[in-house]
Amino acid sequence: MLLISVMSPTPVVPIIAFLTSTILLLYFARIPYRFYLKLLWYPIIIIAITCVIIALFFGYQEPLTEINLLGLRWTVFKDGITLGFNTFFRVAGGLSTQFFLVLTTPMTSILLILRKARIPLVLIETSLLIYRYIFVFIEVMETMHTAQELRLGYSSLIKRLRSTSLLIANLFIRTLEQGERTFTAMNARGYDGNIRILEDLPKPRKAALAGIALFDALLVALAFIIMNVRIV
Amino acid sequence: MLFRLENLSHRYSDGTLAVDNVSLSFAKGERIAMLGTNGSGKTTLLHHLNGILRPTSGRVYFEDKALAYDSKSLLDLRRRVGFVFQDPNDQLFAPTVKQDVAFGPLNLGLPADKVKEVVVEALRTVGMAESAEKPPHFLSLGQKKRVALAGVLAMQPETIIMDEPTSNLDPRATSEILHLLLQLNKEKGITLVLATHDVDMVPLFANRLYILNRGRLVSEGTPKETFSNTELIRKVNLRSPRITHLFEVLKKENNIPIDEELPLTISEARKEILKLLDMENMPKQERDTAT
Repeated sequence: MLLISVMSPTPVVPIIAFLTSTILLLYFARIPYRFYLKLLWYPIIIIAITCVIIALFFGYQEPLTEINLLGLRWTVFKDGITLGFNTFFRVAGGLSTQFFLVLTTPMTSILLILRKARIPLVLIETSLLIYRYIFVFIEVMETMHTAQELRLGYSSLIKRLRSTSLLIANLFIRTLEQGERTFTAMNARGYDGNIRILEDLPKPRKAALAGIALFDALLVALAFIIMNVRIV
Repeated sequence: MLFRLENLSHRYSDGTLAVDNVSLSFAKGERIAMLGTNGSGKTTLLHHLNGILRPTSGRVYFEDKALAYDSKSLLDLRRRVGFVFQDPNDQLFAPTVKQDVAFGPLNLGLPADKVKEVVVEALRTVGMAESAEKPPHFLSLGQKKRVALAGVLAMQPETIIMDEPTSNLDPRATSEILHLLLQLNKEKGITLVLATHDVDMVPLFANRLYILNRGRLVSEGTPKETFSNTELIRKVNLRSPRITHLFEVLKKENNIPIDEELPLTISEARKEILKLLDMENMPKQERDTAT
């Protein structure tokens, strides 16, 4: 669904993708809607601004209108507007489908699927460790940040810059130390260069798989049928 | 003897002599405590017991055979001698509790079904079965310590080494870990080796106590023998258990007739106090019966 909605030439398909994953998330996965809105809010704003810029500055066919921009006459093109709209909805569709994956699928399942897809083990093992230690280091960072703040490390711009650089440098050293200690601890439990993961994925139901395939096929078909429909 | 250290020394690459000519030995089923201040070499010493560190000089014997450091012998040693690290964040690296506990048994090459079985069993033993699917960062420190212990238990070791098992834990979590360890020792006969500076815990737990000071072994014996040498305890910047200290003061300052061997735990103190009360009551009772 992510691929389809990002590659779709019209906004219709991504809108459907967006609505589907949103409904699935809010009603079936029971994600609190406030949390979901918060997640969506910042990326959507950034994309909206970007897409307005794309809409106004891109394009070269069929002048639509001219606007007066600080004494400059600026021509806005039809295909620019279309591109802007498309980009916005593609990204929105892509975002919501990504959130669907992130919010519903446990990390271990994703890693197991990646392994089945024959992604190199190094990448999988690295992401497994990164996933775990991101949380450890967020904690370390928060503690260090608070400690700096309590000693007035953020009371002026210069101090703020200095404290931030110290924080980053220290965090970096901490990651190296942590890596060393984790390696020792893993060795103590018989680590031999391969992280083995216990496989216990529930078998996907055939009906569910078929449903997903059908839905995706419909989306692709729709994308082709309405390829020539333009907004403007 | 299960373990025998012979003139063991370890010098780190920065020149610090962390362990200085230590010789000691202990048998299967014992409960050993290594007591010492921060930086006394406890952790370094323990790291030799399952081959994490190699001695700079001296030797480690396990079941009367010198440790070999090839990967096959190390794997075998580490299956039989589990190590629980002080900071559970060092040890818990997997995205979920279950995956982490499964790491050791999978490295031993057990089949998946068997692994699931031992994982469930280990988590149940430490009382963390409900948290199997949780990511470690959602757990409290006490819970993380128990999961770290489960990760070692799942390899079904005969000896467990724990570095500061109770540091930073609240009283309840401390006593839970302690009871869990004693139960493992009693029911499964697992030999326990603990590094600690919690002197109040030692008499509750250990049957043999080693004291390390600046990398040197300065005392060896039962907690009772060791703590009665108050001069030594003070010299190495430790202290007696609070209870023992109280009785020492009562004996010295108030001339209360207390045995040469001071009580170390609350239950011993209780007995001692009851005995003293009885002695006071005795003449009165005798008077009563006489009349």
